[in-house]
Amino acid sequence: MDSIFFYRSPENSLSGGGPLQGVNIAIQPNISVASWPTDAGSKALANFTALEDATLVQRLRQAGASLCGSTRMSEFGFGLEGSRAGEAISRREADAELVLDLTGESRLAASRAACCGFKPSYGLVSRFGVVGLIPSMECCGLLSGSLETLREILKAVAGPDDRDFSLPGEEIPDFSPRPVDPQTTTVGVLAEAQGELNGGHKDAFSASVEDLNRAGFAIREISLPEFPLFSLVHNIVGSVEASSCAGRYDSVRYGQRIPGARNWNEMYLLSRGAAFGPLVKSYLFQGAFFQFERYDAYENACRIRARLVKEMAGILSQVDFLVLPAVSGASSGDPASITDLYARFSLTAFANVTGQPVLYLPSATGEDQPGVQLVAPRLSDARLLDLGGHLLTMGKGGN
Amino acid sequence: MFYSQRVFCGQLTLEDVGRRVLLAGWVDASRDHGGLIFIHLRDRSGIVQIVFSPEVALSDVCRGAAALRSEYCITVSGEVRKRLEGTENPHIETGNLEVLVTELTVLSESDAPPFAVSEKAMVAGAQSAGAESVAEDLRLQYRYLDIRRPSMRDNLVARHRIFQCVREFLDSRGFLEIETPVLTMSTPEGARDYLVPSRIHPKNFYALPQSPQLFKQLLMIGGMERYFQLARCFRDEDLRPNRQPEFTQLDIEASFIDEEFLYDLIEELTVRMFAVGGIALARPFARMTYAQAMDSTGSDRPDLRFGLRFVDVTDLFSSTNYSIFRQILQRGGCIKGINIKGQSERLSKNVLQNEYAREIVPSFGAKGMTWMRAEGGKLESNIVQFFSTDELEALRRRFDVEDGDVLIMIADPSYRVVTSVLGQLRLHLANRLGIIPAGSFSPVWITEFPLFEDDGEGGVTSSHHPFTAPERTDFDPKNVEELLKLRSRAYDLVMNGEELGGGSIRISDRSLQKKIFAALGLSEEETREKFGFFLRAFDFGPPPHGGLALGMDRTVSMILQTPSIREVIAFPKNRRAVCPLTGAPSAVKNEQLAELGLLNLGGRDVLPGTAEGENRIDHLSWVSRIGIAAEERPQLEKVLSQADELASLAADKAGAEEPMATVAPAANRMRPGTVEGQSALSRDQLLKSAPAVKGNYFKVASILE
Repeated sequence: MDSIFFYRSPENSLSGGGPLQGVNIAIQPNISVASWPTDAGSKALANFTALEDATLVQRLRQAGASLCGSTRMSEFGFGLEGSRAGEAISRREADAELVLDLTGESRLAASRAACCGFKPSYGLVSRFGVVGLIPSMECCGLLSGSLETLREILKAVAGPDDRDFSLPGEEIPDFSPRPVDPQTTTVGVLAEAQGELNGGHKDAFSASVEDLNRAGFAIREISLPEFPLFSLVHNIVGSVEASSCAGRYDSVRYGQRIPGARNWNEMYLLSRGAAFGPLVKSYLFQGAFFQFERYDAYENACRIRARLVKEMAGILSQVDFLVLPAVSGASSGDPASITDLYARFSLTAFANVTGQPVLYLPSATGEDQPGVQLVAPRLSDARLLDLGGHLLTMGKGGN
Repeated sequence: MFYSQRVFCGQLTLEDVGRRVLLAGWVDASRDHGGLIFIHLRDRSGIVQIVFSPEVALSDVCRGAAALRSEYCITVSGEVRKRLEGTENPHIETGNLEVLVTELTVLSESDAPPFAVSEKAMVAGAQSAGAESVAEDLRLQYRYLDIRRPSMRDNLVARHRIFQCVREFLDSRGFLEIETPVLTMSTPEGARDYLVPSRIHPKNFYALPQSPQLFKQLLMIGGMERYFQLARCFRDEDLRPNRQPEFTQLDIEASFIDEEFLYDLIEELTVRMFAVGGIALARPFARMTYAQAMDSTGSDRPDLRFGLRFVDVTDLFSSTNYSIFRQILQRGGCIKGINIKGQSERLSKNVLQNEYAREIVPSFGAKGMTWMRAEGGKLESNIVQFFSTDELEALRRRFDVEDGDVLIMIADPSYRVVTSVLGQLRLHLANRLGIIPAGSFSPVWITEFPLFEDDGEGGVTSSHHPFTAPERTDFDPKNVEELLKLRSRAYDLVMNGEELGGGSIRISDRSLQKKIFAALGLSEEETREKFGFFLRAFDFGPPPHGGLALGMDRTVSMILQTPSIREVIAFPKNRRAVCPLTGAPSAVKNEQLAELGLLNLGGRDVLPGTAEGENRIDHLSWVSRIGIAAEERPQLEKVLSQADELASLAADKAGAEEPMATVAPAANRMRPGTVEGQSALSRDQLLKSAPAVKGNYFKVASILE
């Protein structure tokens, strides 16, 4: 098997001081590091070398982290086909990884590697210098075996960035740890999120909820009948944004030029036709379809999105956290198809639509058992890490 | 009363007093004097005041009058009466009359006009709003209202009168008005053609005429002898403030004539046209050869309303010690100057040196300017010490210098630079010093133009067009030096520094025509291809002939002394060649282009995504510019049918919520330390990842095939 790394940094960067001193971080080649090859897994950016550091990278370096390289990724990070995310951690080549989360990729990669995976609140982390595909949903996810490392990374990278025009003007929440008292904490369980689980996964999830109950957390069954609409909204909005976003790959400034074009239009058709793989190309065609032929579908999806955001906010005002499984176990059998992708990510895509922070926590009982996703209200990222820390300690028999 | 009995507002006179009249027109302005309502009623002929008095008119008529607003279209009938002494209005033609209304009909109401149409104050001594302050594009957008304004109406009426005068005069001289086609072939006028695609013959185009040049010559060969036309011409030229993409020219051609016939004809015609505007021109018009005009004014369209003629002083400095002049003369240059009589008070040393010599003259293209002021019987200047007493004395005599005069001189190795710069200075000074007499008109014929110009590549091109007759026929078509000295039988009519028109005696001898083409370096094959049909006509006994074309928009504008030619055109384009009224030029539907065979300008037979009933995969492939291979189609078919389902599901599930595009709206941010439109990265960096680079630029495929 080829290397999990797409690029390894030659410099053995001995980091200076800082909270992340000695922390070895692997990124993906969709995050710009000056002079590193940065093709975001696509021929559309073949041979592209980043010209400057992403804000994320600047901040990690300032905090003392060292970047050891970038791991192989799926095209634009959409889905996990061809991605080696998580492996650097399981092979102890890195202490943490940055994995763009468009549909739930960071959480499922963490599940694969049986480590913690964290998708921060939408809008908390700068995306300047990150090659994206679905601007209103994607977010840089963090993988690590250690929740404390995750917290330190989040502290280092979160916050406003003058170079990222897409960031909201919100105040940065407090990231310092606080103890969790199970007696005053309610965890909601989404009934609809278990419907698709197969027998083994269902049992494992029930066991996890039982553990929470036993630890003293109040458990409340919550119903969100519209849960299946998250995938619908994600597919329509995501494909439209992707189609729009991919417009910049023109084979002029970067990427591959396919020779033989007689004119400008043919240059686009040929080069862009060859630039995208089957999954992304299908997605771009769907996006073009919604943009140019069924714009009403995009507007309708945005209306449903507004409703779902409201419903999620409502639920998270009734409970402190939500718990739900991460791995659906479903598959259409064709890993390059959009249907398959949304089947695999049916339990994770919700958070990209509504912007909540999600922590994937591996199972305490064994690496072959799937873990759970814990969800908190937007910008309550630190509380989510507090909860995760509490549960991990508890699983190790502490507390 | 019926329309047949209608009389015109502006034509009422004291003789009509006591008559009952029917008037029709628009409400120009109104005044309400507590029950007594005065209205200015305007039709094309002018304005008359109409009065609604409760003592005369029924109450519902008075109520109707009170509801009238500007630009309502009405008819009224009533009795003409003389105004009371002291209430006359000198602003309008009928100011000593008014009509006492008994009946009123509102024919149509009007929205409030976007600008004031009324130009005539209702009472003596009052001011009324003009259109000067209204944006021209707004006037053009509502041109139909703009031409209700008396001043615009007067312009259009005067234009009509001038055109009528042209027709009557030329008819009386035996000229026939004959129309020539507007859909035609491209002609060799030198500007860009407007093209009209042919539907019947796809990919073939008609050209709109830049002038009827070839047709009028063919009419001469056709024996029509004397022809004229008020022809619409079209030139796709770069935008200039006083230029229209289409314009009207008076096109004239006559057989068996010479230059004197045309000078006589056109002078008489010009005198009559200007007389319509109340301007008396004296005949005969002045004449200058091209060489004289350049020598004395630096322009082939000299403004002769004022003096400031050039004086050549090259010979006075043949042995000068002033090194700048000496070097210029050694390089074959020349020195010319102007005596600005009696202006030394307004042209101080400071103005001459710091404004003219340092700023203005370099911007005109010369390296420097020499100036001298005559005071106390002496010439003074910053460099006067470099000249000998003899030279200064010779200058005084040559320029006829008196105290208070200012001399300016330009010296340069190039005759073209000297005349061009001094010509621009001449106009600049005349405007600055205000020495151009207002209301004066100085027509002049410019004759003996060069037949050819240097084409910059060792050959020659026609100065006018290749059918212009040369002054002599015994030239050697291979001798470029001789060709450049040849003069033509062309002439321009210039008025106040503007070219009103021009023309020439044409070549009517086919062997001479061949010689001209040979001089232009055109092979027989090329000439056949370019002018074949036209030259063939010269094989059938062409008569000697010549003619001229006058720009009528410009001529009318000059006669009426309007600030732009748009003021004398009913529906002109604006300065950007756009018609704000109709929105022309505009995009057309793809269907229309397809019908004309114009969709394939990119080199394909039909652009994908534009054909009717086209496969949607091809359409989406085109609009998103992503090419597809045949084997990808089934997969794309599948994802699009899934997208169909998603769209229906979304339509089912969507509620009334406002669409939400993001969960956290972006804040306003400025990138610190960046410059708009400019990357902080170097060009090398930006080009580093490009797949194809040429020199310092991204290399791309051509826009068209």
